Amino acid sequence: MTFRARGGPGRCALALLIIAVPLLLALLGPLFAGEPGPRAASFTVGGGHWAGTDFVGRDVWRQVLLGGQPVVSTALAATALAYAVALPLGLISALTRRTWLEELLMRPLDILLAVPSLLTVLLVAAVLTPGAGGLALLVALVNIPDAARTVRAAAAEAASRPAVEALRMQGETWWRMAVGYVGRSSLRPLAADAGVRLTGVLYLVATASFLGVGAEPDAADWAVMVDRNRPGMFVQPWAVALPALLIVALTTGTNLLVDAALSRQPEHIRHTRKARDSRTPKRNEKSSP
Amino acid sequence: MTALWSWPARRLLLGAGQTAAVVLLVFALTEALPGDAAVALAGDQPDPGRIAALREALHLDRPAHERLAAWAAGLLHGDLGRSLTSGRPVSSLLADGFAPTLLLAALTLALLIPAAVGLGVLAARHEGRLADRVISALTLGVYAVPEFALGVLLVALFALRLGWLPPTAVGYGDDLLAHPAALVLPVLVLLSRPVCSLARLIRAGMTDALASPYVAHARRCAIPGSRIRYAHALPNALAPAAQQLARTVDWLLCGVIVVEALFVIPGLGTVLMNAVAERDVPVIQGLALVFGVTAVLLNLGADLVTHRFAPRAAVAA
Repeated sequence: MTFRARGGPGRCALALLIIAVPLLLALLGPLFAGEPGPRAASFTVGGGHWAGTDFVGRDVWRQVLLGGQPVVSTALAATALAYAVALPLGLISALTRRTWLEELLMRPLDILLAVPSLLTVLLVAAVLTPGAGGLALLVALVNIPDAARTVRAAAAEAASRPAVEALRMQGETWWRMAVGYVGRSSLRPLAADAGVRLTGVLYLVATASFLGVGAEPDAADWAVMVDRNRPGMFVQPWAVALPALLIVALTTGTNLLVDAALSRQPEHIRHTRKARDSRTPKRNEKSSP
Repeated sequence: MTALWSWPARRLLLGAGQTAAVVLLVFALTEALPGDAAVALAGDQPDPGRIAALREALHLDRPAHERLAAWAAGLLHGDLGRSLTSGRPVSSLLADGFAPTLLLAALTLALLIPAAVGLGVLAARHEGRLADRVISALTLGVYAVPEFALGVLLVALFALRLGWLPPTAVGYGDDLLAHPAALVLPVLVLLSRPVCSLARLIRAGMTDALASPYVAHARRCAIPGSRIRYAHALPNALAPAAQQLARTVDWLLCGVIVVEALFVIPGLGTVLMNAVAERDVPVIQGLALVFGVTAVLLNLGADLVTHRFAPRAAVAA
């Protein structure tokens, strides 16, 4: 119990500490990268390159500074895109009273749910050779079925409350019900899901890039660096170890941060629920978000 | 709402739908090629002879529904077509890569359950103490790490720095069992994510079960601790973990592709990545079909098993 009580902020700090380095490098790295220097021999150590050179003789440190941004921005874009489709789908199917519409929207997604996500990405990438934007689109696509289910489940809980019935009887517009009430009340579970999904998306984006999907073979991208510099691991391990360590820190830190944020949630919910219950009569008119 | 018996039936129906979806999705691959599939596949040097050969090999002169029918009929006979690059039957390519992949998957699954249960029970027994905190932090941290990043770091440490294990499986052919040292790192990397997720679920289930009234009562009756733990508490903790096994299957299929690429193991994942690199559509289709249908069937099996264990658990159907 004592662990849990003081574990919250401590774990949050640990997570922030782990994620700080890769995140700062990804966000600010490109600003400090500077102009590309002349190419040296492949896989050398020293000679003005403190982290050595990579498989085509570029400075590894400069590639590291540049390589975080594609991973992070593709993952963020893919998560946002997935929700841009999943939110309306889930809200519509949670709020509709027409069973056929709900079935029409959700059933096809259920069918896609069982196909391994990386397999779908590879399958499409095999024929279309997508760029970074295409990879974000693809990763978003394979995340939509699960995200839409989560949105629907979270929204269905809120949509079955008496308040929605009251809003309906008052003749409120669909938008006011869906966005103003149901969407707002399910913000918290959705935020939790978004955090968990982001770690999954980061994993998928990095793995796909490692396998050569969505990035040029000589791109400045941590995952691509790990793949392309592997042949030189015996002479120049830093070209692989540095980006790999950063990816490990990025994914681990994201997961720890999401978990630390979520583990603080129950107390908070308990709190708001207690406050809400104490003024039960008003609950249907105004819900605390 | 719906009668209880109909759940397995509905789940089976969904499984059939999913299998059909995989078949259609895989077939749609050639249709999705922009413009003429043969021209797109011929690549940078569009040689008229090669385009004609591709058109012939893919039967592009026939309408799509006829090709789908012919392809599906071939599937029923186990005929997956021929590779565009080597001309070999796809089924023989699959047969070549099958043994190493099966070995990796079987070893991982065999180690997964004891390792996850052991870690989960250990953490639950010491809830809140050092062992629990270390296991919980480690499982949470490693859980999200992509296999390739963890894999190269392990290779750098154990193969290059310490020299304990071979860095890749190059030179061992498909007789991997004779070289167990080459299997240690691949299996370790494959285990990393599933073990973490399962151990966390078992730990959560065990702490709940150990704090329950029936365990307290069993203690009052002086039943030995190990019997309480493994005969009474653990079965209750396993139900949510069984459900997670279904998702683990998805991870294992992805993990196998990455691990085979990383450790140069000539399995199905390597065959797939080579085919993707050469845009060898029939091989990709055959492999995607095998992977996809396996995933669907294993998901179906896991859901049905979970349903037996914990009928209350909400599973999609």
